[in-house]
Order: sequence, then C-alpha cells, then structure tokens
Amino acid sequence: MKNDEVIIRVGGAAGDGVQSAGLILARVFSRSGMHVNTYNYYQSIIRGGQSWYQIRASHREVRSQGDGLDVLIALNKDALERHTNPKINEGGASPLPKEGVAIMDSSMTGYKEFDVDYTPVPLGEIALKYSKNTLLKNTVAIGAAMGSLQMNFDILADVIRDQFGKKGDIAEQNVKAAKEGYDYYSQKYKKIKKDLKVSNEKRYLIAGGEAAGLGAATGGLKMYFGYPMTPASSILHFLAEHSTQYGVFVKITEDEISAINMAIGANYAGVRAMTGSSGGGFSLMTEALGMAGMVEVPLVVYEAQRAGPSTGLPTKTEQGDLMQVIGASQGDYPKVILAPRNIEELFHLTREALNIAERYQMPVILMVDLYLAEHYETISKPDLEFKIDHGKRAQDNQKDYRRYAYSEDGISARAIPGQPGLMHNEDSDEHNEFGDVVSDAETDPTLRTLSMEKRMKKMETYAKEIPPTPTYRADDAEYMVVQWGSTQGAVEEAIDILREKGLKVGGLEIFHIHPLNRDIEKKLSGRKKIIVVENNFSGQLNRLLKSEFSIKTELITKYDGESFYPEALSKEIEKKIGGN
Amino acid sequence: MVTIADYKGKVKPDWCPGCGNFAQLSAISMVLANMGIEPKDAVIASGIGCSSNMPEFINTYGFHGLHGRLIPVASAIKWANPKLTVIGYGGDGDGFFEGTQHFYHAAKRNIDITYIVSDNQVFGLTTGQASPTAAMGMKTKSTPNGNIEKPLNPLDFALAAGATFVARAFSGDAKHLQEMIKLGIQHKGFSFIDVFSPCVTYNKNNSYDYFRSRVYKLENNDKSDLLGAYKLAQELGDKIPIGVLYQKDEKTYEDYDPIIANTSLVEREPVKITEEHLAEFL
Repeated sequence: MKNDEVIIRVGGAAGDGVQSAGLILARVFSRSGMHVNTYNYYQSIIRGGQSWYQIRASHREVRSQGDGLDVLIALNKDALERHTNPKINEGGASPLPKEGVAIMDSSMTGYKEFDVDYTPVPLGEIALKYSKNTLLKNTVAIGAAMGSLQMNFDILADVIRDQFGKKGDIAEQNVKAAKEGYDYYSQKYKKIKKDLKVSNEKRYLIAGGEAAGLGAATGGLKMYFGYPMTPASSILHFLAEHSTQYGVFVKITEDEISAINMAIGANYAGVRAMTGSSGGGFSLMTEALGMAGMVEVPLVVYEAQRAGPSTGLPTKTEQGDLMQVIGASQGDYPKVILAPRNIEELFHLTREALNIAERYQMPVILMVDLYLAEHYETISKPDLEFKIDHGKRAQDNQKDYRRYAYSEDGISARAIPGQPGLMHNEDSDEHNEFGDVVSDAETDPTLRTLSMEKRMKKMETYAKEIPPTPTYRADDAEYMVVQWGSTQGAVEEAIDILREKGLKVGGLEIFHIHPLNRDIEKKLSGRKKIIVVENNFSGQLNRLLKSEFSIKTELITKYDGESFYPEALSKEIEKKIGGN
Repeated sequence: MVTIADYKGKVKPDWCPGCGNFAQLSAISMVLANMGIEPKDAVIASGIGCSSNMPEFINTYGFHGLHGRLIPVASAIKWANPKLTVIGYGGDGDGFFEGTQHFYHAAKRNIDITYIVSDNQVFGLTTGQASPTAAMGMKTKSTPNGNIEKPLNPLDFALAAGATFVARAFSGDAKHLQEMIKLGIQHKGFSFIDVFSPCVTYNKNNSYDYFRSRVYKLENNDKSDLLGAYKLAQELGDKIPIGVLYQKDEKTYEDYDPIIANTSLVEREPVKITEEHLAEFL
C-alpha cells in the first residue's frame, strides 16, 4: 500500500446511502487540494443487494480506482465480511489488509472475523442523539473515517452543510453527528499513518456524465434528446437538472429512434443538438445515424457502454460496443468515433465533437463506458473559452445554390430553413448536388458515384486533422501496451509498476477510434511485443488494429463487468512479456 | 405577395397518373401561398413511401427522412424554430405502422405541427402490400388470400392520443381538402388530417368512385364534442364523414417548456457558461 495515498471504501445495501456517503468523503479530499478518483460498484436494484463506493485520494495524480484499502466503512454485516475476507470476490478490489481499519456499528456482532483491525463506533447510538431515526449513522461513520486520517474536520463540516444546504437544522444535526464520530474514533483508536499533503487549493470534482454535459453546454449545445438507459442517464439527468441554467432544452422521447431523429431535425434546423444512449438504445438509433451521414446533418451521439450483450449487466462497465459502433448503419458514410480516456478529456472532446460534427456535417460518436460516465475525478479548472465553429454556411439568396455542391474538401455550404432563396430538399435517398433524388426516375450511376465520393471525401479531409496518437513512457519502451478509452488510468499505473521493476514498458493510447491515425503503426514498430488491453471478451480494438495495420499483438481482456486494477493488470502484462 | 408559382418545385412529380397525391401537392402549395407564408418559412418533413417523395416536388425547405420517422424530425424542427410552418407529410404505411408511437406521442404533446397523411390503404412504393388501414378481406401481394387483420382507425387513434385538431379530407374534393389543410395549419397545436387518397395502381377497391359515393361533408357538428367525434370516426360504411371532427384550444408543448416558450433557439445565442456555473463542482 502506498504511503502517499489513501483508499476508503463504503459498503452497504442499495438504499443505504452508500454513494452519497462516498461523495461526501470524495469532496472532503478534493477540497483539501487532493486528487480524487472514485469507483462505484452497484447493482440494478433499488433496495438491498450489496454495493460499495470507493474513494482514492492523494496529493499526486490518481488515475484509477487503485489497489489496496485503508479504511472500510461497513454499513452492514455483509459488507464487513465481504471486504475483510482475503478471498474477496468483487471484480478485482483489494480486501482490507491487516493494517487497515474497519469502521462499523458497535452493535454489529456474530460476523466472521478476519485478521484486520475492527474499530466499532456506536454509529446508531450517536445518530439517535441528533435525530429520531438512525439515518444519520452514515454521517457518524464518515466522521469516524475522517478521524482515522485526522483530516481537517472544518472541511468535512462545510461539505456536510453544502450537502444539506437548504435544510439548516438537518445540516447542523449532521455536522454534530459527524463530529462525535470523528472524536470517538480519534480518542479510541489508532490513526492511519499516511504522508498526505493537503492544500488550500480546492479541486474540481466531477463525474463523467456531468463533464460531458458541461462540455456540451460550453460547446453551444441547445437541445438534448434521450431515453433513460444506464449509464447514459447521467448526462441526461445532469442536463435536465441544469436545463434552465445552461439554456438547454431536454426531452425524454418515446424511444431512442425518436431521440436521434429529433436530434437530427434540430441540427437540420440550425440548432446544436445531441442524443445519447447505451448500447441497446444505440442499436435502435443506427438507421438514423446513417441518415445523418447521408443528408449531411451534424450530429453528436453519446454512447455509454455497459456490459452486454442484450440487457446484459445494466450497472456494470465494459468496452463491448466498439464493433457495433464502427459498423452501425447500412452503407458507407463518413463518421468520427472518439473514445475519451478520462473525465477531463471527455469534457473537451464533447464540445470538440460538436464542432467536428458541424464543420464536417456528419455524425460524431462519443464512446464512453459506465466507469467513465459514472465515476468522479478531480480535474483541472474547466477552460470555459471555446470557439464554436458552424462550418460552411450559405449566404441568403446565394445564386445557383447547391446544398451538396461538390468541393475539394467534400464539404458544402449548409442552408438553414428560414434563409431566403435557398430552399432545397435534404434526402435520405441518394441525391445530386441540389438534393434531388437520383434513386428513382432519375437513376444515374455517374451521379451516384460522384455523390458517394463527395461524402466520403470528408474522411480524407478529416484525416489531415486527426490528432497524433498519445503515448506513455514509450520512448525507450521495448514492450507496448495499447489501450483505448477509459482504461487509460489503470494501464498507465500498471506500466508504472512494471517500470519500477525495471521493465521497459510503454503505452499507446487510442482515443481516436475512427478513423484511426496512421501513426499507430509507426509508433508500434520495432517493439518486442505489443499487448492490447481491453475491457471486453473478444478484443474488439485488437481485431480492428490487426485489420488496419500489419502488426502482431497479444491480448489481455476483462469482461467481468468491472474495470482493470493496476496491480493485477501489471502481472498479466508481465506474464505476456515473459512468455514467448 | 406569395403566389402558388413560388411553391412550384423544379422536379416534376413522378407519381402514377391519377394518384391522389397530386391533389394534396397542389392543395398544400395553394394554402401556403394563400396564407401568405413564404416558401423559406415552410418546412415539409416526410417519411418513406410514394407520398413522402413530396418535398422534392415543392419549393419549400424539405426533409425526406426515414420510413415512419417524420414526426420526430418535424417536432424538433418546430421546437428549434417556432417561426417555421412545419408540415409532416407521409403515407398510412409510414405513419401507422413504423410511425405509430411517434404519432401518438406528438398528438399527446400537442406540438404545433400539421400532420397530413395520404391514406390509400396500401403500400405503393414497395409495389402493393396491405397497409395498416387496409380493409378486411383486401387482396394484396402480402395478403393473397385476403387481409385478415382489422384496419387501424387513424381518427379515433388521434382522438385517443389527445390530438387537438382531427380532420378528414378526400383527394377527390380539392376545395374541401384545401380548406382542411388551411384550418390545420391555422390551428395552434397538433393537427392531424387523414386524406383519402386513391392509389390507382395497387388498390382497385378504394377508388375515387368508392370514396365519392360515400363521403359527406360535416356541417355544424359540435367540434368540441370528443365523444361525438369518436362516433363520427366510426362511420366507415356507406357514409363516411369528411371535415373537422374535433378541435380544441389547448396549450402546446412549446408553451409549457420554459426553454423554448416564446423563444427561437436557432436565433438565441448559447448561454455563456461562467465561473459561477462551475462553483457546484468545487
């Protein structure tokens, strides 16, 4: 366990307030100037089950949920036994080690004991002092956990007050309960010895879905259409909640087909609009996605993957939709697929996607996954300056206007309904430069060829502006680990572990999924081994890379519904390196 | 001064000679012109099918989208820019098969668009299969032994969904058809007009003569009487009413939503996100 970081885990049943407790703790650290990374383990259930929320914090960057555990808050017996058992089976999470502490209610008895430090606190009893029910016991436990680390209580008190802001009395009850928990622990038990540096500089703490919504709003988004589906609901909820503040119209539609067609209608009318769903809803959207490519209407789709196939694991993460998204919709049409690697990048790429979509008049799909969409991270202060690029627009009454005029770059000037003298038809049927159909009476193989090439030329133009593929500690790397999307943090930390062991391992990070930057082949050439790491069963990126480049790869996958953990991943990479 | 000539499209309609869609094309053009709406301010969103090819043949902004999906497109266009006159135009196959739930929800939301269905009881462009409004017993390519499915009744469906303007017209009565389209466009809220539109190629049963001998014009019916309208919608035998069955003044979806009420999003600048907006993340 690292001395310069701390990991706290809150375990309980759905409905116990596990997540809100976790968020209060996360906020205490971010307000103490620390970097935070959270992890949410839960089930598709409203009450009961077994869920937990983990907070990892340090004064240095923490890029994943990390390994190890320092403080466990067990809100029930099941949670206590699960997380203290060395044979823990929670998708890679570490059990509480000998030197860790387990905070639980003093009334808890009859649990299976393991070799850890049990630190019972009369959570319920203290809670009842300040409230008629035991709801406050989580707050007492939070206080105790902060006591175990000797964090500044004033910061915790502020966070609690903000949390219960409008309910003044309740806020003060909670603060008092937390203080008693803090003091109880401080007086009775050993403190966790950590070298944690705090500062007065608060950090921004934000979830993936929120960062996407905020990024979109700073990118000129005015309309969002969606249908509830975890984990795409977080952006929907966030935008709905901020609808008035951000001036974004948000609509729940009758289905995902309607959502995407509405987003297309709005963009056609000249208003920046987005839609989003998870894999299931996205599959319903695919026909319209191709239409956006055909009629050349800008469109951004937020695709939040969860573990499939079918309904799959609604509350679990996976990167299993890559092939679906790449292959979505019939025929060839221009499109861009982006897979942000972390929350800060998600913020930036969401608004960048809006610009790309409008500049190129084509669909852009933002691929995230449940982990990225729902966990919280500290990010640097969001840059609010952003230049909205509407791309080529036709002038009112422009002579001889051709909506789909052939051009060097494949992009033609858009006219928006209401503009005088530019009336035309946008057609999902194949059409000529004017938008007139060439699929029926006017069937014309030459025009069809030209129109197809006109649209696809946009991909050639776009290829010139694909950003270089980022690498990590790759200069002298003999072994390259290739990752995409949200696995960045775990992979980089696994690489760090291997580097400490003296192994020359580096990383290649693909956030630009389609089209792939041709620099990938060069950056991977001359290495002893290329190991692709993916959160899915078949290694979908690996298949894609092998079809695009002449490379030999090895594959590490994980498809248990949870993210990679750096330590375990480093061992798997080491095995791949060792074996010939 | 807007004239019907302003609405003349440069592509000649390729419908079969005698197709009921011709009457609707000229009726829509004439009504828009007579109402003084400039072509730049009119949008026709269509689905897929013979009738849905209309946007090509009329000089407005047109969006010829996917089968059954014209209503979401039309709805969002209206929400994005309320200054536009938005007409959804498609067939019975398009609207009452794949488009059914969009139709229902748009009616329920009372979005201020006009939805005109060219109802010919058959799939034309796919060369003659039974549509959702095909009569029992009708022989088509998909029902060689006769249709064994009850036809959908678009009018009582619209009434049940809460449409605030429900009318029927007939392509064989151009003047009345124009009147219905005009009233539909003038109505603030979701207007639905089902137009009997004979398919001269694939439906020999529901011909001009068939409808001409049956339709009668509604006069002095109480348009605010929902149950009365339901009753009229059931008249599909020897006597079939055409005209406005039901009309009600009701707030639209746009009126209720604070972001788009009295606002044209296409003209409004995006809200500038400031430091204050970021405070909640600290």
